[in-house]
Amino acid sequence: MRKRIASYVIVSLLLVVTIVYSATTGSIKMGFFEFFGALFEQDNSQIEAIRDLRFPRMIVAIFAGAALSVSGVLLQSVMRNPLADAGIIGISSGAAFVQLFIISFFPALFFMTPLFAFMGGAFACFLVFALSWKSGLSPLKLILVGIAINAMFTGLTEAFISFGGSLNVSASSVIGSNLTMRTWSDVSTIATYGTIGLVLAFALYSWCNLLVLQDKTAKSIGFHVARARLLIAAVAVLLAAISVVVAGVISFVGLLVPHIARRLVGYDHKVLIPFTALLGALIILLADTLGRTIVAPLEIPASTLMAIIGGPFLIFLLRKE
Amino acid sequence: MEMKRIIVSHDNITNHLDDVSTSISKGKVTTIIGPNGCGKSTLLSVLSRSNMPTSGTASLENRDLVMFKPKEFAKKLAIVYQQNEVPKDLTIEKLVSFGRLPHKTLLQRNQEEDRKAIDWALSVTNLTDKRHNDLEALSGGERQRVWIAMALAQQSEILCLDEPTTYLDIYYQIELLELVKSLNEDYGLTIVMVLHDINQAIRYSDEIIMMKNGRIIAEGPPREIITKDIIKEVYGVNAIFKEDDELGLYMMSLGI
Repeated sequence: MRKRIASYVIVSLLLVVTIVYSATTGSIKMGFFEFFGALFEQDNSQIEAIRDLRFPRMIVAIFAGAALSVSGVLLQSVMRNPLADAGIIGISSGAAFVQLFIISFFPALFFMTPLFAFMGGAFACFLVFALSWKSGLSPLKLILVGIAINAMFTGLTEAFISFGGSLNVSASSVIGSNLTMRTWSDVSTIATYGTIGLVLAFALYSWCNLLVLQDKTAKSIGFHVARARLLIAAVAVLLAAISVVVAGVISFVGLLVPHIARRLVGYDHKVLIPFTALLGALIILLADTLGRTIVAPLEIPASTLMAIIGGPFLIFLLRKE
Repeated sequence: MEMKRIIVSHDNITNHLDDVSTSISKGKVTTIIGPNGCGKSTLLSVLSRSNMPTSGTASLENRDLVMFKPKEFAKKLAIVYQQNEVPKDLTIEKLVSFGRLPHKTLLQRNQEEDRKAIDWALSVTNLTDKRHNDLEALSGGERQRVWIAMALAQQSEILCLDEPTTYLDIYYQIELLELVKSLNEDYGLTIVMVLHDINQAIRYSDEIIMMKNGRIIAEGPPREIITKDIIKEVYGVNAIFKEDDELGLYMMSLGI
């Protein structure tokens, strides 16, 4: 109990510190007090620039981190598999591909991209489920199937981009993640859908807890296992898809963050889901902030940093299995 | 519970249950016995609705089992399976509280009643002192009792147990069977269980259903149906039966 509270407090504090550090550091630098003073001034060109360029980026990073991490928790619960992550098993790349495909051919439907991304993610999720169901969702099998699905959608996306120079598609944001040049309209998209997804995820916590039981036992106490799986997976896909739409594909967050979170606050989803959201927000904001400051004026995308840390981490988890 | 002409086939070639009709008497301990692969667990799975029969009907209180909603059925019948994966980082109390699920609806829950049911389930399984302990830290016998406690928290009238003693050593086997006996005698639960040990079946059952190759060979009170001939027929084992003042009827197997 004490460990839980301490973890919440420390991560919240770290998030606040990171937010302030991120807001004041970069090509425009401001001191801490200068920054807070300037926040309430009307015409300060520096704070205007930060407001227009840096704030949206930070908010997008925070929501994407929270959404992807919670998506990971939900997928791990639904698949009874500690290795599930929207990025690794192809849900994100499925969402990215369908989104790109629709925008290219039906640019008028641009405002509906979250919906199409959701459908793409759901299709990828369905494929992974269907193809690894027979093996009883064994962790390793599921990851292998997922990696194959991921490779397929990533390949399709890349092929599409190489043909599609004439289609005038800005592809960079689809393949990897790059959080530069996010606007307030991106913020409103991810904040709306992200909040809906996070609230729904929390509402489903008791179902996530029940899924630790084997299917036969869960059924015997009158639990609708299939229905719960479907709904939880849908929320997980929603969270992953909305992150892809606004922030691009970032893998490994959904693997790394829930794992650390379980170590710190335990397996009860009532506590775990909110904590994962906090920790995920912290990690992606930190990765993005470091990415744009350590080799400034160049930038390392947050997704690249996550892959560099996440890859070895996955190997570590696989060895433990 | 009534079963009429039940056929179950997992592969549509062989019948795992072949035209089985029987009834389970209320308030009694009924034990299903028979050699490996005779269909005893399949019969239990049809009773507990985890397997749908290929043909035939199973009914409870004159209603076909398929007509029950999942939660409604879970209030009537609880089942403890033979092998259960132990979830990580879960206390006994938390697991037992899962058994209250059928009594909860989305908007309504009676916390007072839940608490009483959980306390009762923990006390009859002798786990009250350990309620805050982690599941992973328990012995095999205690774990089996935890799963029974979860089933008891459902407060159903019927409790099914699939080979509850199989992975336990002799002390915990007896402890468990005594628990089952007291659940039947003191709390009026109808018990349906699958056992391997014939002597335990004789000693703890009111009714025995003896199966072979997906069919019921004999059913009735242990003393009436368990004979030398039938043991030879069903198990292919030569046995003798003795009567002991304290033990009652018991069987010794001589050879094959």
